Amino acid sequence: PIEDLFTSLNRHIERSEFQQAVKVADQVLSIAPGDEDAMRCKVVALIKADNIDDALPTIQSSQKFPIDFNYFKAYCLYRQNNLEEALESLKSQENNPATMLLKSQILYRLGEMDACVDIYQKLQKSKIDSLEINFVAGLISAGRASE
Amino acid sequence: NPIVLDLAYNYIDFPSLENRM
Ligand SMILES: [K+]
Repeated sequence: PIEDLFTSLNRHIERSEFQQAVKVADQVLSIAPGDEDAMRCKVVALIKADNIDDALPTIQSSQKFPIDFNYFKAYCLYRQNNLEEALESLKSQENNPATMLLKSQILYRLGEMDACVDIYQKLQKSKIDSLEINFVAGLISAGRASE
Repeated sequence: NPIVLDLAYNYIDFPSLENRM
């Protein structure tokens, strides 16, 4: 039954066995196509297995289901240095620490340092670990090291 | 070049499967 598959999936996730997690997620999806939890697990496991090249087509193939994968899509595009498209995928997303961090990392790679630094400034009150490392990188690259 | 961390990666999370098992 599907509950046993999810138990197995959960165990693989806990053990960071991401490739096996993908296989079990696929088993769930063969029984229950479009199952949101299984789809999310598959995409996240592919990303954590550093298999971005398979994560993106999985995301594309999910477009017929009502699941919002735009953050994951933007992240994968960013990892592939497809920066304009990555920004495009973030447009539909509400501002939260995740989307703001990703956007600032994309802007950094695009060389849009002032916009990048602006976001880190806004995120300062969110108490994100190691945020200052990227903030400082943005300031230095913007020629604003004195700040 | 200054070091930039991939902080966005920390927000790629598995859903809770608590009520699916
Ligand atoms: K980066």
